[in-house]
Amino acid sequence: MSPSKPAEHSGRAARTGWVEVLRARRPRRAAAAPPPVVYRWDLDKTYLKSDFESLTKMMRVPFERAEDKIDEPGVVALMRALRASARAEGRRVFVYFVSASPPQIGRAIREKLALDGVEIDGIVFKDQLQHLVRGRFRFLREQIGFKLAELLKARIAAPAGAAEYLFGDDWESDSLCYSIYADVVSGRLDHQALGEILVRLRIDPARLVEIRALARKVPVEDAVRRIFINLERRTPPGRFRSFGARLVPTFNYFQTALVLHEEGMVPLAAVVGVGHSLIDRATYTRAQLRNSLDDLVRRGHLLRDDPPLRRDLEEAGVLPSMVAQGTWSQRLWRRLRRRRPQSARGPAPRPAVAIDYPKLVDAWLASGGRPGDAS
Amino acid sequence: MPVIAVDAMGGDFAPEEIVKGVADASLATAIECVLVGDEPRIQAVLDTLSYNPAHIRIHHAGEAVGMQEHPREALKSKRDASIRVGATLVAQGQADALVSAGNTGACLLACSREFRTIKGVRKAALASVYPRHVDHPDQDQLALLLDVGATIRCDAVDLVQFALMGSAYAQRVSKVARPRVALLNMGIEPFKGGDVLAEAHERLAAMPAIQFVGNVEGNDIAKGIADVIVCEGLLGSVVLKFIEGIADVVNDVASNAVKQRLVWRLGMRLLSRGLREVSHLTDYAQYGGAPLLGFEQLLVKAHERSRAHAIANAVKLAAKTVRDGITAEIAAAIQAAR
Repeated sequence: MSPSKPAEHSGRAARTGWVEVLRARRPRRAAAAPPPVVYRWDLDKTYLKSDFESLTKMMRVPFERAEDKIDEPGVVALMRALRASARAEGRRVFVYFVSASPPQIGRAIREKLALDGVEIDGIVFKDQLQHLVRGRFRFLREQIGFKLAELLKARIAAPAGAAEYLFGDDWESDSLCYSIYADVVSGRLDHQALGEILVRLRIDPARLVEIRALARKVPVEDAVRRIFINLERRTPPGRFRSFGARLVPTFNYFQTALVLHEEGMVPLAAVVGVGHSLIDRATYTRAQLRNSLDDLVRRGHLLRDDPPLRRDLEEAGVLPSMVAQGTWSQRLWRRLRRRRPQSARGPAPRPAVAIDYPKLVDAWLASGGRPGDAS
Repeated sequence: MPVIAVDAMGGDFAPEEIVKGVADASLATAIECVLVGDEPRIQAVLDTLSYNPAHIRIHHAGEAVGMQEHPREALKSKRDASIRVGATLVAQGQADALVSAGNTGACLLACSREFRTIKGVRKAALASVYPRHVDHPDQDQLALLLDVGATIRCDAVDLVQFALMGSAYAQRVSKVARPRVALLNMGIEPFKGGDVLAEAHERLAAMPAIQFVGNVEGNDIAKGIADVIVCEGLLGSVVLKFIEGIADVVNDVASNAVKQRLVWRLGMRLLSRGLREVSHLTDYAQYGGAPLLGFEQLLVKAHERSRAHAIANAVKLAAKTVRDGITAEIAAAIQAAR
């Protein structure tokens, strides 16, 4: 049996014209789909305003119902926007939570996420009860080892080429843990150096072996684009300088949304949505949002201080309108400046620096397991 | 919430302690502060502190007036001086009040150039609070002394206006329904102290809007006879500095006594709480600063040696004074007396 002729060689081609022929001859290239994106979130103090300030309040957390849990201002609007934006671009998107909270609160968390209209693809809790039953008391308080292992496991299972954005807070070890993870995945931190860091951090030996094995398995690619640290306890932002420009400490989710907008991960509408959410639900004023934007620019995390962006945010009612402020000469000058095409102003981008992990870990240990001054 | 411009470059410990004070205020209150000064230096300090960015703005000013500089010459040569820019922001309505721990002369000069004087007011006065004896627990522990350095020499009309301004301030800010006003003099007799003080006494005694209690001498200042004491700037400044010096003397005496004998050391230990209270009461850092009265806009002049705590209190005082509408109250009092 002679092999059937390809369509382009058949007589039908001549009948349908040259255009069809050329279209058929050229192998049809699918439009390049944007790479998948993974958003990994911490739970307490990042998504939820969990109150651990006293033992009584901490004991209350597992018994809270979904409707009693309070989310961080603006986070829900941002989470929804991240997924919606990725879908609109035809990008595969995955949202995961990794939390050191016990799985017993899982049901309430899932219900809370459903109430907020946030879709997730997975959530990992730390099984404290199992550690307690097995007498592994060292595992109870240990967070970095647990999170690092879970992140590496998740990365191995993630689609190839997926970009990652990590979200944590300044209460415990998220900045350090996420940075180590990002550098292991990118190959900047070799196995030898990773081992030394884990020993220095006094990670349990069994966990250390597990992490090293996972680190060998994980595909090397520079996947982590940004690490966002929610400055819930108002840690001085300068303490995070030694983590490099990849890590962005933000005081509120409006600042986070602005950086993600500059990265092209969310549209302006999402920034506006987060801004309105802060105004409506967290008693922020427009002037306070403008101050937050200015702060981000001064700290060098927003590379372009875009006059059109400010104008759009003013028009959307998120920033105060500058039209009526100042003397007539100042107002006229502002109008003229707006008409003139301007180059975006802003501080020079911060150079990527190699993280000095031994110094960072020492500072972290010296400050009692919080971001210490490693400068 | 009021917007308070803060001269970040003025003071012995600027900008570090000024920025720290504003950062503390940003966490503790909803007051919006505009830090006026060298933006990169201010941001570098902010980076090392806990703060709430929603409550802080930075307005760049490239120059600063030094503490030892001649005010007039400094302001003439430094057009972008932080104190001048701060005063302009307030005058333009971009901030409601100004706080500065900088060169006092430059502060007063910048304000007199940028601010509008309240109609009818001839000279401005710096009003400072000081600790005094109280007769009952509800009585305010602090009384008002003005002027403490804005107008070196005054005539009788100026002193009367200071009395009106001080009385209005005490009514609004210290919540004293009918403040007792006294004139600082070298004797309680109405004719003492020279022509200016005698005329001022006569005018004040004839003024129904003021509860004038007559002259007070130096030893009466702390006794709580009056809620407001009026004097010319030179005298007021000397008195204020003397009160500030008491805390240092008490501390010195106590520390020397501790070194001398074991019994004295034990005695000091027993007295330590009381000494701390005296020190606390005479500590200028607790009161924030002295408001400059007589302008439609407000300056709170903080001590040159102010550290973060004093600056945070000065910011709170400025916000309270703005909220209480003190300039309108003074304007009404001056208008009624004319």
